[in-house]
Amino acid sequence: MSDDLPEEFDLIVLGTGFAESCIAAAASRIGKTVLHIDSHDYYGDVWNSFSLEAFNKLLDQPSSSLRNGSYTWHEPAEEAPSWTRETLLEKSRRFSLDLSPRVAYSAGALVQLLIKSNICRYAEFRALDHVCMLYNNELVSVPCSRSDVFNTKTLTMVEKRLLMKFLTACNDYGEDKCNEDALAFRGRTFLEYLKAQRVTDKIATCVMQAIAMCDASSSFETGMQRTQRFLASLGRYGNTPFLFPMYGCGELPQCFCRLCAVFGGIYCLKRSVDDISWTPDAKELLLSSAGKTLRAKHIVCAPGQLPATLAPHYGQLQPHISRGLFIAASPLGNEELNKGGGGVNLLRLLADEGQREACLIQLSHYSGACPAGLYILHLTTPAFSEDPAADLADFTAQLFETNAPQILYSAYFTITAPTNANESAATPIYCTAAPAYELDYDAAIADARHIFSQIYENDDFLPRAPDPEEIVVDGEDPSALNEHSLPEDLRAQLHDLQQAAQQMDIAE
Amino acid sequence: MAKTYDYLFKLLLIGDSGVGKTCILFRFSEDAFNTTFISTIGIDFKIRTIELDNKKIKLQIWDTAGQERFRTITTAYYRGAMGIMLVYDITQEKSFENIKNWIRNIEENAAADVEKMLLGNKCELNDKRQVSKERGEQLAIEYGIKFMETSAKASINVEEAFLTLASDIKAKTEKRMEANNPPKGGHQLKLTEIRTKDSWLSRCSLL
Repeated sequence: MSDDLPEEFDLIVLGTGFAESCIAAAASRIGKTVLHIDSHDYYGDVWNSFSLEAFNKLLDQPSSSLRNGSYTWHEPAEEAPSWTRETLLEKSRRFSLDLSPRVAYSAGALVQLLIKSNICRYAEFRALDHVCMLYNNELVSVPCSRSDVFNTKTLTMVEKRLLMKFLTACNDYGEDKCNEDALAFRGRTFLEYLKAQRVTDKIATCVMQAIAMCDASSSFETGMQRTQRFLASLGRYGNTPFLFPMYGCGELPQCFCRLCAVFGGIYCLKRSVDDISWTPDAKELLLSSAGKTLRAKHIVCAPGQLPATLAPHYGQLQPHISRGLFIAASPLGNEELNKGGGGVNLLRLLADEGQREACLIQLSHYSGACPAGLYILHLTTPAFSEDPAADLADFTAQLFETNAPQILYSAYFTITAPTNANESAATPIYCTAAPAYELDYDAAIADARHIFSQIYENDDFLPRAPDPEEIVVDGEDPSALNEHSLPEDLRAQLHDLQQAAQQMDIAE
Repeated sequence: MAKTYDYLFKLLLIGDSGVGKTCILFRFSEDAFNTTFISTIGIDFKIRTIELDNKKIKLQIWDTAGQERFRTITTAYYRGAMGIMLVYDITQEKSFENIKNWIRNIEENAAADVEKMLLGNKCELNDKRQVSKERGEQLAIEYGIKFMETSAKASINVEEAFLTLASDIKAKTEKRMEANNPPKGGHQLKLTEIRTKDSWLSRCSLL
């Protein structure tokens, strides 16, 4: 199978996770020859979504990037006797169970990148239905749209007015450089600012938990910036400022891989690397894989895919993210939050007096991630031990002790990260970061962008790919390709190619 | 913006490397044959609008982008596909044998009711033929799907094949619509449909 693989590349990328796939696509897009391989037989690495069966298998076999896996089948509830272990496994392929679930701000880094690069044509999204908060142990929806504020029964008339006034002030903040608040609250916390606005406790919770997503120590500037990010993403697609990729987040790395392949990138899954060596000037890297030596000018690698000979350079693998995943026969919260079978809901949870936080994403079958009648609950928190269930215990207690949904299946696992991920000076290999604890993809995109700019200093990161309609070919002759329809950089590449072809003719 | 078509069908091309999938795509969409430049300018699907029974049908036909080479087609490729052209090369026995693997791949990843069709391409190379037309027909019967031998180079049956597949999907779609049982769909949103609307807050004078 490996026989007709070329041996020389501009860039070899190991691992098909989110950041690696971004870099592979970006390099391929500017005309570099790219080989993209993964030791697994699936795309996405720790960013992938799995069928129920494949997910269980993954938990049973610890790997360098995923460990402490466990899962439990629960007795089917009386209300839903039809969902047994057998019936769930029968529908195994209808599940897309994410290892690293996220939502995207409608005007955030991911959405901007997808639109700018035209990769958005490979994916579909669902607008989140509700952003929720826990208030006095009750799960309530945070009003996002204007009509939400009108219609909500959560807030009193006075509170509605206060919330609107506060958000309008946040929205306008920054336009006036001599803003009094900016001067008065410099160096203070966002919570202090919020309190100074004399909002009620409920509104403060609303803003801190769900809108600004802050804790008590977050600075005034951070809180302001996050609130503005939330507000800027409103009114774009749905009722909330967030989107969730249909069929799970595992689709996203694949979208970038598709773009890489469309521009000539070569894909090989289930292919591991035994060793990487390099010339003294590190201008050429040699990669041995399946008895073959491949040469590359640059290598980018995911932390979990480093060959054993090099992994020690990047330090020990530590627990990084603690994850819980639950399949339930009923959703969290009341009917109001789950109208028509529910959609996608988001909830940020706090524990230890706001010192620790977790993120909950609830998916119904409208997300394409599970069969109808079931709900997936993704719980994510930064790891502080090797026991993901213990790390999440404070949060599961808040969720499940009152109004517990009918849980049919629960699973826990840990995603690891090397201690010295940034210690790339020891080797000429660019190592991407493990999935960070974040709501959106900002850190992952920044990581990809940073590595790309280190390798290709002066090149654009994922310029727009042309739409198929823009490429016009006339008749049998490819040179009748209507060049003017192409983006400038591609026209230049095509021109170089034609020149090279002409020179070859002369040499003959 | 008014829709310029009645139906939009997403079709896929699947089969081993070198069987002529991209050539079939270009023959049908551009009536052209040479495709040497394809990876430089990044073509990944082509669109052609056809007319069947007075209905305008926009066909969006996706190529594998070479990801079939080491059997690494992404699962995302199959999302939303309504029809699949399974292509083999009549001069390559192996590409014919692999059709059953591709069918398995489709069963694992595509929607259960996806319409399939089998194509034996390069039928202009009769003197190099390794797979008889009868074997192609037999395999198609086994899977209960339609079959044609095509030539992208000589422009044989390519048009007919796509029209047949499109017409079968259309019949299925209309039957489902008559039964008033459209496929489930929350509001799926394409990012390209972005509305440039000011934030609701900036225009808000209520309360």
